[in-house]
Amino acid sequence: MAKRTHRGTLARRPGSASSLKSRVVLPRITQHRFFGHGVPGVDGAKLRGKLIVVEGADGSGRSTQIARLVDWLEANGHATVQVGLKRSTLVSPELEQAQEGNILSRTTLSLFYATDFADQLENIILPAMKAGFMVLADRYIYTLMARDLVRGMDEPWLKNLYGIAPVPDAVFYLQVAPEELVQRTFSKNAALDYWESGMDLGLSRDMFDSFLEYQSRMAHQFRRLQKIYGFTIVDGHRSVEEISQELTEKVDAVLVGKNSH
Amino acid sequence: MLKTFAELNFPGRLIAVEGLDGSGKSTQIYLLKRWLENQGLKVYFSEWNSSELVKSATSKGKKRELLTPTTFSLIHATDFADRYERHLLPLVRAGYLVLCDRYIFTAFARDTVRGCPPDWVRGIYNFAALPDLTFFFKADLEVSLNRILDGRPQLKYFEAGMDLRLSTDPYESFRIFQGRILELYLAMTREFNFQVIDANLGVEAQQAVVRQLVTNRIDLESFRLNGGGALPMRTSNQLKNKWRKELIAEPLLEDQEAHHH
Repeated sequence: MAKRTHRGTLARRPGSASSLKSRVVLPRITQHRFFGHGVPGVDGAKLRGKLIVVEGADGSGRSTQIARLVDWLEANGHATVQVGLKRSTLVSPELEQAQEGNILSRTTLSLFYATDFADQLENIILPAMKAGFMVLADRYIYTLMARDLVRGMDEPWLKNLYGIAPVPDAVFYLQVAPEELVQRTFSKNAALDYWESGMDLGLSRDMFDSFLEYQSRMAHQFRRLQKIYGFTIVDGHRSVEEISQELTEKVDAVLVGKNSH
Repeated sequence: MLKTFAELNFPGRLIAVEGLDGSGKSTQIYLLKRWLENQGLKVYFSEWNSSELVKSATSKGKKRELLTPTTFSLIHATDFADRYERHLLPLVRAGYLVLCDRYIFTAFARDTVRGCPPDWVRGIYNFAALPDLTFFFKADLEVSLNRILDGRPQLKYFEAGMDLRLSTDPYESFRIFQGRILELYLAMTREFNFQVIDANLGVEAQQAVVRQLVTNRIDLESFRLNGGGALPMRTSNQLKNKWRKELIAEPLLEDQEAHHH
């Protein structure tokens, strides 16, 4: 489990040790835009908060890093909200159930995930951003798109679908080699996840082989998406502290209005 | 996609009915289904918003009035995709006459009235082929309204378009909402080559026109379950013989072993 407090990181942040006590830095409000049309009735200019996305495979350290970012942001006086995939009240139980049976075809699964995303977008992300919160997204449309692209879905179709999403202020992709992900997964669970192994794709009957192949394909799609969307690739092989340091510095830059892309 | 199933060279055909609530389209497609079944044809019927999988999420969303235009649109698209990928497309490919009570045009009309960008909605549904025949049941707005309002005076929230805040009175809201949908249907008539049926006529008169059009446009003989003429998807004798030969030439392994003993 992720440890919720790591004061060491806070102290190491340049010039923050004393300012932490009372001075709260006001974030610079920047214009937000959507990837496409956005959502009916929502004006990007009214989204005062920031949207920070952490992407990466299971075992890449996403939740640990998000917990650290939340600690750091709150210690600096910023209100935070967290979202993630398959957490909507609208469809997540049904989505879970459908996945267990593995009975959904790819377009259906894709749209189910999009519905889950849209529900959280409209009920959590956008209202929180309007209210000036820092929204931390544990995965975002990039994972959804990469998964679908690996499954052969049409890229323009996906781009249109996710035109509802606001462009984040920062996106960090924690890149970890598939071989290392296997080790981390086994140290936690002793079993590979069916979907994280891409077993539905029929790449291999052997789950271990399938996992490595699927994660390589996902990493390939992320590198492609990185070139299009320009997010930050973070070397996830380093220590928790080192990664945390890098993310904190970059989020700090975002708060003062220097977007990472 | 914008091609019909026939243009995609699939052996089956898809017939859709569209129209306002209360236009009598469900009655007409039911009578069409009965007529085709009585002739011993391969028929499959599918209704809008009927996927078992998605149903609980949709009804939960509607009951709790949780749906926004975007999630309303996406959850119906998920429902459609599930039916399309698991039933409609495979059945058309197997040479069935597939009848649909509402098709993608329902989404084009409703979602657009709710404020979703028309090209976003159309883009989402572009995985689906166009019907080979689409009937649009065009009734005077007052006739449709009266049929609904006489029958079940308790209007549901989304059905009445209450989410659009057109009026605080459900009946007035329903009238405005249906009126806008009718405009969009009329605008799509030429583009999607709707066969317009005068829904102000009596049930029998409408059914006679429907049956005539189906007979003219579709070679019904080729959809017979048993026997009939040149069947597009009937397993040909040539194909059957090929399989028979293979079975004789390559007996199963167990059979071979049995011979040795």
